[in-house]
Amino acid sequence: MFTRRGMIRIGAASVGSLALRPFGLLPGLAQSGPDYRALVCVFLFGGNDANNMIVPMDDTSYKAYTSMRGTLALTGNALSAPITAVSGEPYAFHAKLTEVASMFKSKELAVVANVGSLVQPLTRAMYQAQQAPVPLNLFSHSDQQLQWQTSVGQGNSPTGWAGRVADYISSQNINSSKFPTFVSVAGNSLEGIGTQTQPVALAPGQSLQLAGFNTSAASQARLHAVDQLLTTDSGVALVQAANDTLSNSVADANALGTALSKAPGLKTVFPKTSLGAQLQQVAQIIQVNSVLGMRRQIFFVSLGGFDTHTDEINVHNTLYPQLSPALAAFYTATQELGLAQNVTTFTESDFSRTFQATSGLGSDHAWGSHHMVLGGAVQGGQIYGKFPTFEFAGPDDADVRGRWIPSTAIDQYGATLCSWFGIPDSALATVFPNLANFGASPKLQFLG
Amino acid sequence: MKNLFVSVLFAATLLSRPAVSQVSFVETGRTAARLLDQATWGPTAADMIQVQTMGVNDWLNWQFSLNTSDLPDQPILTTAGMPNYDLTPVQSAFFQNAVTGQDQLRQRVAFALHETWVVSAVQTRWAYAYPPYWRIFRDNAFGNYRDIIKAVTLSPAMGDYLSMANNNKGNPAKGTSANENYARELMQLFTLGLTQLHPDGTPVLDTNNNPIPTYNQAVVTNVAKIMTGWTFPAAPNATPKNNNPFYFIGQMYAADINHDTSAKAIFGNIQIPAGQTAVQDLESLLDALMAQNTMAPFVCTRLIQHLVTSNPSPEYIARVSNVFLDNGSGVRGDMKAVVTAILTDQEARAGDSPGAAVSSSFGHLREPILFLTNLLRGLNATLDGANTLYRFPSQLGQNLFFPPTVFSYFSPQYRTEKGLLGPEFQINSTQTASFRADQVNTALYGTLEKDVKLDLTTYLAMGNDISSLLDYIDFIFMHQTMSSDLRAAATSAASAANTPLARVQAALYVVLTSGEYQVIQ
Repeated sequence: MFTRRGMIRIGAASVGSLALRPFGLLPGLAQSGPDYRALVCVFLFGGNDANNMIVPMDDTSYKAYTSMRGTLALTGNALSAPITAVSGEPYAFHAKLTEVASMFKSKELAVVANVGSLVQPLTRAMYQAQQAPVPLNLFSHSDQQLQWQTSVGQGNSPTGWAGRVADYISSQNINSSKFPTFVSVAGNSLEGIGTQTQPVALAPGQSLQLAGFNTSAASQARLHAVDQLLTTDSGVALVQAANDTLSNSVADANALGTALSKAPGLKTVFPKTSLGAQLQQVAQIIQVNSVLGMRRQIFFVSLGGFDTHTDEINVHNTLYPQLSPALAAFYTATQELGLAQNVTTFTESDFSRTFQATSGLGSDHAWGSHHMVLGGAVQGGQIYGKFPTFEFAGPDDADVRGRWIPSTAIDQYGATLCSWFGIPDSALATVFPNLANFGASPKLQFLG
Repeated sequence: MKNLFVSVLFAATLLSRPAVSQVSFVETGRTAARLLDQATWGPTAADMIQVQTMGVNDWLNWQFSLNTSDLPDQPILTTAGMPNYDLTPVQSAFFQNAVTGQDQLRQRVAFALHETWVVSAVQTRWAYAYPPYWRIFRDNAFGNYRDIIKAVTLSPAMGDYLSMANNNKGNPAKGTSANENYARELMQLFTLGLTQLHPDGTPVLDTNNNPIPTYNQAVVTNVAKIMTGWTFPAAPNATPKNNNPFYFIGQMYAADINHDTSAKAIFGNIQIPAGQTAVQDLESLLDALMAQNTMAPFVCTRLIQHLVTSNPSPEYIARVSNVFLDNGSGVRGDMKAVVTAILTDQEARAGDSPGAAVSSSFGHLREPILFLTNLLRGLNATLDGANTLYRFPSQLGQNLFFPPTVFSYFSPQYRTEKGLLGPEFQINSTQTASFRADQVNTALYGTLEKDVKLDLTTYLAMGNDISSLLDYIDFIFMHQTMSSDLRAAATSAASAANTPLARVQAALYVVLTSGEYQVIQ
């Protein structure tokens, strides 16, 4: 079931450490054909309290918000100026999400309300009666992270939804190279693991190329020895797993090294943050998509630290100023490449957090959360899905602390993204096995 | 050949070590090397002789008696009067201890506990918090699991990291509720896990064949209430209050005015009565936790995975769990008995015999820190307390004392692409696999860092005799289990090299970058 991408091929041309091109030296030039699409997942690890990411500003909602959130309620300058969504209602973003608010206003960014892990549509009554299937181990970081990445709420899926998309892309020979469809710039992620395809993970600005080889006979003999071992089946499963990873690394190093060496560079300046560097790396790889032979790519980047059990106001004031400008710079880069319409960026996160505060100016693990979708193809400036009713023990609360039961499933959110990506409905059922539980028209309209 | 190494090294190495009281039985070199790969930071020739001479049981007892390695206390403020977040001296000492300390097994078990009971400097940044926190695991590595739970629960470092400190009871006027952070992770990650387990680690199923959760949200809420009322120790010269600001030396104490005294229903249908103090509630909770049989397979599986194999058989887990539940003297949670059971189990020792059939799923990937220490010890490294070796595992995704989240450096539940558990594989990506090979390259062909010296003398003496060289590499790094394929590949690489040094480098590079070496079998 597992196929390696290739054998070691280190020739004189690719020896040595590959330096990524510096930015801003050469004019950007899109090298793609017209049929290129990329999805970019920004995973907010720890459980982003989206209740303070975007706040409905109509009088009723905002009054309920301030009274119920208590010590966590954002007021005055802690919020952006209200922005009227396409539908007519006013919303405000966290004040540190300056660029996000601006892109919402210019209709390049949409918000999907109260998305989370579900097996089927669920009401408070159904949840409390425990008579409908619900996702396993709710409110646990690890389980909800994996459910976001697999879109399978029950049981342990060995593959991620983006990995299954990559399997489909591979089965249709949509990309013309063996370079993986799924690229993580944030370490290994189950999201990109397929049945037939495996992701590549790289660190921003780093090479995958093995160091220390030259063209001498001794060096080539040593390389050949390593190569031979990587292609030998030891019969020990974990040894095989280690060999597979290094083998893929070497194969991808060559493809990526060759492609990036031809990259003309980008003018867009990215923030000097971890997320900025990750998204910069993604933009560089998108820039050489045609050299790599890619027509469809999925990228994975991340920002951690959102587990705000205490001190939430200060933590958001640190994290959102990393998130917002990095997203904006990346969108600008896609514009520079002439690919703004071809690249859609979206957020994922473990869960949102209790509407009710904890004693330490924080919030606890909850469930449904609001998410952002950004790109030229996005029907922005709008809220999709349904905001929860702000009421403790109200119709959307799983218990009494404002743990919102999702009104939109991850499956629906993902299927909308994948449909735009080019996955036909017939294949969506494999990618999102529970999708049929969400009605005849489960997709949302945020990508037209 | 192999006996030659033993006899040559024998006399010299025992001089600095305790006299061997009695030689109960002579272990094979292979047993010694495999045990040391499971129980230490990496086999050395000297330690192999020690184990062979003492026998496994005496060696374990000797290790249980040692507690020689410390991490240095750090100043609260820098010399400039700023908060001191610099953990480098603590990291340096950690590697110094790992490479040269005698209490190897204690360090390994303490490290496994450190990887379970996570406090991360990503969030709790003060450097002085870490040496005292580490000592909990060092000093209780062979103690009782209940004492570990209690010591960590009252530790100000954990109090800060998982919001246990100043967790006041809910305040309806302010619209706040008791903080669930520590309550949830204490159960999920440190003691019970999410679902009830049989002693062999398999899930307990209900009539519909679904796993049975260990607790639900209502229990989390109630355990959070049990945990209310604790605050940081007061700093010297500070007036103790009901909610002290952070201070990381000493234990947290209870301010009962902030404790929720309501009755609480928790896991296992246990009721904590109303009206108890914070201290009484904590003791009740510790008793309740220890009474859960699920704790045994949950804790033991993690320890087995850290020390021996990622995919222990249910029978192996059950044998160790039963020791956790009762050490033979009616004591539950006896870590010394548990560690002994793990390391002397037939499944751990099966590979000691040449030709023994070992499960193809046996073993575990060397995590980056273990990979580095093994390389340093195997190549006779000398280093000083100012080393910055933490940089190497950090590049491989394991930044000592800085795990990214409470879920540690990697998850015990991470699976490789073929569905086998492989926790360490979570941080073994295409990128870090290539960095791993590059670190071998740096160690052999370059310099790890200025004050870290490798001594290849023993290897170089065999630089003109590739067959002996590979015997020796096999002896030090592969417990004499090197496959013919690996031997052939390393031989061909060494044969193409022109000098003794180049041959040693080439042979070591091929072996140390191989999957066969990376996975401890």
